[in-house]
Amino acid sequence: MRWYIPYGNPTYFIWLALAIIPLMIGLLYGHRFRGYQTIISLFFLILTFGGHNWKTGISLIGYLVYQLVLVWLYSTYRQRKETTNKGWVFVMAVILAIVPLVIVKVTPLFDAGRQSIIGFMGISYITFKVVQTIMETRDGMIKEFHPVLFGQFLLFFPTISSGPIDRYRRFEADYAKVPAQSDYLDMIQKGVRYIFQGFVYKFVLAYYFGTILMPQIQMRAMMAHGFSWNIIAYMYAYSMDLFFDFAGYSLFAVGISYLMGIKTPMNFNQPFKSKNIKDFWNRWHMTLSFWFRDYIFMRLVFFCMKHHIFKSRTTTANVCYVINMLIMGFWHGETWYYITYGLYHGFAMVINDTWLRFKKKHQKHIPHNKFTELFAIFLTFNVVCFSFLIFSGFLNTLFFAPKPF
Amino acid sequence: MSVKKRLFMIFGPIFAAALLMLALFLSPLWSGFSHVNPKVDQNAASSLSPQVLKGQLIKSNALENGYVPFFGSSEWSRFDPFHPSVLASKYHRSYRPFLLGARGSQSLTHFFVMQSINPELKNKKAIVFVSPQWFTPKGEDPNAFSFYYSTLQTTNWIKQQNGSKMDRYAAYRLLQMPSGNSDKILAGALARIAAGLKPTSLQMLYVNLRNRILLNEDQIFSRYRIPFNNEETIAKNRKLLPATYNYPKLDKLAGQIGAEKTNSNDFQISNRFWNHRLKPHVKELKGFQSEMSFLRSPEYGDFQLLLNQFANDHTKVLFIIPPINAKWQKYTGLSAQMMARFDKKIHFQLQSQGFNHIDDLSHDGNVPYFMTDTIHPGWRGWLKMDQAIRPFLTQKVKAPHYKVDNYFYSKQWQNDNGSDGSFEY
Repeated sequence: MRWYIPYGNPTYFIWLALAIIPLMIGLLYGHRFRGYQTIISLFFLILTFGGHNWKTGISLIGYLVYQLVLVWLYSTYRQRKETTNKGWVFVMAVILAIVPLVIVKVTPLFDAGRQSIIGFMGISYITFKVVQTIMETRDGMIKEFHPVLFGQFLLFFPTISSGPIDRYRRFEADYAKVPAQSDYLDMIQKGVRYIFQGFVYKFVLAYYFGTILMPQIQMRAMMAHGFSWNIIAYMYAYSMDLFFDFAGYSLFAVGISYLMGIKTPMNFNQPFKSKNIKDFWNRWHMTLSFWFRDYIFMRLVFFCMKHHIFKSRTTTANVCYVINMLIMGFWHGETWYYITYGLYHGFAMVINDTWLRFKKKHQKHIPHNKFTELFAIFLTFNVVCFSFLIFSGFLNTLFFAPKPF
Repeated sequence: MSVKKRLFMIFGPIFAAALLMLALFLSPLWSGFSHVNPKVDQNAASSLSPQVLKGQLIKSNALENGYVPFFGSSEWSRFDPFHPSVLASKYHRSYRPFLLGARGSQSLTHFFVMQSINPELKNKKAIVFVSPQWFTPKGEDPNAFSFYYSTLQTTNWIKQQNGSKMDRYAAYRLLQMPSGNSDKILAGALARIAAGLKPTSLQMLYVNLRNRILLNEDQIFSRYRIPFNNEETIAKNRKLLPATYNYPKLDKLAGQIGAEKTNSNDFQISNRFWNHRLKPHVKELKGFQSEMSFLRSPEYGDFQLLLNQFANDHTKVLFIIPPINAKWQKYTGLSAQMMARFDKKIHFQLQSQGFNHIDDLSHDGNVPYFMTDTIHPGWRGWLKMDQAIRPFLTQKVKAPHYKVDNYFYSKQWQNDNGSDGSFEY
């Protein structure tokens, strides 16, 4: 049997269209065919995790059972009246939730490039959802555990391979209700627009930058041996490819969710228009950066403040920025370039904050007009593109990896 | 607004776009739009790009404008001042090589490449560089075949095929490759061809439709996908050559450059190749080829496809049989006796069917600076080859008389190792 990368080729879209038309007709007339939705979800999961990929399908099932049991246990613990909300139990639960992901991320490090057998496409995105559910269960925001609903949330097929990362309470609310007809028509309109914008992004622009332009520049850069302008050209081409490919994918995921009557959050909001690096992270891979903000950065800050680890608020924030981004770097993979990428963004956030404070203090002397705004956009864009050059690993191939010829 | 009207406003444009797209890609009008900028032909001729190999427009356009197809594989990427493309442009030859093939492209790939340029091969000339290394026990690597596979060429061929032995064998071989099974309807048509039947009319409808769409796609876009430019490398190498062509003088220069570029090792292997590819493993490689044989291989059948197609097109072909770096051959234990038999076997398959233009260099493996690495010719090797290529392409060659023998498709021939002296011709 063939297998499909989600949104990878026209055939996948034809399957999608055929599968969700009945669902759409139902929604349009006030019904959500939940049983049918479960069946087509299974079908698309098999398309991606079946065929000669079946081993990852087994891993996915094993992973799912593990996490369901874990969240169920933790939820039961929290719901029991006689127990207190112990910190160490919570920490244990989070660690146990992350363990499979850590194993998958670390395996290639010990076994030269080999992939872990417990891995599957999208494991990190599901892990984010699990950890978030555990955290909100600890906070008492999520009061009940519904294994079926939770499973639907984790395995929601439009977003399974690379997000956007939805939140449990938001998803559950959407899933429980049927949108009013006029609202749903608006959703269809938006969904269709997103999907077609996705086509332009992924199959026209990303194809041009990634498949046509990049290999040529790459070749020239390799031929030049050492530093050359080609590296700069590569930096921009790679950045464009990264954006249009991922944003295109995200648009598909969000668009299909909308057609299914689920308002999966957006992932990108014109990131290259950002005026500073903080602005950038509010526009780039938003569901990931908000996840990191809410569940790592904020919690770190609270922890530091509660235990008075640093005297000043500024230091607390700065240290947390760096740790937050460093963790994001590690999440991307255990290579020097991902970790450097994380550190780079951490320090960029620190510098950005320092500058904004300085600017506020000396408001009278520092001009602010259309021109400085344009300059800020230009500067941010280049700082970001440079970070993507690090992220791409191309510098590694160019300067440290053994030459292929 | 009523629900119906809103739905129409949302989905109407999609249907309109789909119709427009179908009209665009099914339109027969594009075939008139076939001008290709000579600069694009020039870039494509030395690009070694799989895009060019898989396409149609650029190749056929170039072959109509003074380019000659040079079928081969990885040797074409060994650019130095004596590479055929450099010599042809430096000395303003009446022909320009159009390099076809790169690492991993073998006879079966080339058979399908020919399906995109058959009209341009009719009664014309071609060069084929036959690597002994193609003739391994498993033949062409399915992954390499997939890399160069073109549905456009396959559908071209299905449209033209007439159920001959060649067509049946090609279908049979294609079905052994994952590429041949990637499209279920095409696979069905192939199975029928292999069995000696005509594809069903429904299958042919699909083949024609696919072919039309792919042809239009190629016709519209391929000229703008200007491949990576080896022209710069050629220009750089051109500068190293003297203004006039004098074989003894050039041969001396080739020796000098070769000596300079191979001073890091005792095998006369180019420093770059040696340092990056061989030096780290040289100990493990001692004697590693002692069991290697190029005598039994499905490649012989695929090679027959190539010859058969050349015969059908009455193409005049010069076959080049390269040597192996003799020092390396000795070190790795590759049997000289086996290589001699290989040479005989290939000669037999060629000459018994009337392919008599053979530039056999198999004995030159010990000529200093003939090879650039282990199996690829360089400096003096390229130059020696030029002594055959130049007259073949610039002078008149008699019309060939080919007698195709289907025996060469048989398993018996593929597995014949010549122990009974059957290659004597």
